[in-house]
Amino acid sequence: MFIPAARGDTITTQTEIDPIDLRLLDALQDDLPLVPRPWKDIGVQIGLSERECLQRISRLKESGIIRNISPVLESRRFGLNAGSLIAFHVPDSSIHEVAGIINSYPEVSHNYRRDHHYSIWFTIAGGTEEEIESTLSDIQKRTGISDEDMISLPTIRSYKIDVRFRCIPEGSDGRD
Amino acid sequence: MDETDRAILRELEQGLPLVQQPFAEIGVRLGIPEEEILTRIRKMKERGIIRKIRARINQRDIGISANALVAWNMPDGWDGFSRLADLPGVSHCYLRRPVPGKWEYSVYTVHHNRTESEVYSIVSQFAAEEGICDYQVLFSTEELKRVPAVRIDQTGERTR
Repeated sequence: MFIPAARGDTITTQTEIDPIDLRLLDALQDDLPLVPRPWKDIGVQIGLSERECLQRISRLKESGIIRNISPVLESRRFGLNAGSLIAFHVPDSSIHEVAGIINSYPEVSHNYRRDHHYSIWFTIAGGTEEEIESTLSDIQKRTGISDEDMISLPTIRSYKIDVRFRCIPEGSDGRD
Repeated sequence: MDETDRAILRELEQGLPLVQQPFAEIGVRLGIPEEEILTRIRKMKERGIIRKIRARINQRDIGISANALVAWNMPDGWDGFSRLADLPGVSHCYLRRPVPGKWEYSVYTVHHNRTESEVYSIVSQFAAEEGICDYQVLFSTEELKRVPAVRIDQTGERTR
């Protein structure tokens, strides 16, 4: 049963995370076992029953700590053979307007505001460098950002792509 | 990769269902047996289409709140990419073509650590050890967009 909070009540959204959650988050950032009951396997790794493992994962998902459990796809196998990191110098007052235009492009996957003269940094992926240049000039046209206020840094080589956040600090096994 | 593989990827992209048998659940949605779903995913991994299946997490919620892009101008002959990529909290390490006369930095790393001072200390210690004099640490103050680079369904991030 869902009981709505009375007016004026404080709604607590903070979630308690215990050391078992942290071990679970580390395990879930490894490659998921491709078996019919993967939560059972992960539970075995960290000493949880399948049921408790699934309950904890669901709770971490509901509280937003886990965004989702999904595949990392190899961009080159999908024809994305080129990429660039682009920086724009944008006045503070128009950052969100400019970001809104940039973010509307599916070719843009990451965009961050950064504490620098070049205040917006985003990535463009595409089939070729020419494709990226054409997307970029389109974005510049629509945002009014001149070449002067822009740098584009095409990828020559990637040495590491492994987004993984170590939840248990190094030098500790997370057990109390 | 055929239409069935693409349909499976679209389902996986939405996030694995949090039920006891998630692959069976996807199978029910697509009218395909669980075993075939698993076999097709394994084949897509063997062929290098899927690198891995893992949880994407909001690192700020677990106290990793500093995110920095570091731009490095390396000394001539420097070749320490693997040492740089192995620094604690580094998720990305790229060599890029700089803009001569305007922006000379050619190596880029993304750092995720608990605090800004932790990032500074890791970066400055590395610079000292490797004899690097010119680098810039750019902290992010706002995440404006973050979605996987490859999406079968180009509608972008789903709201949770």
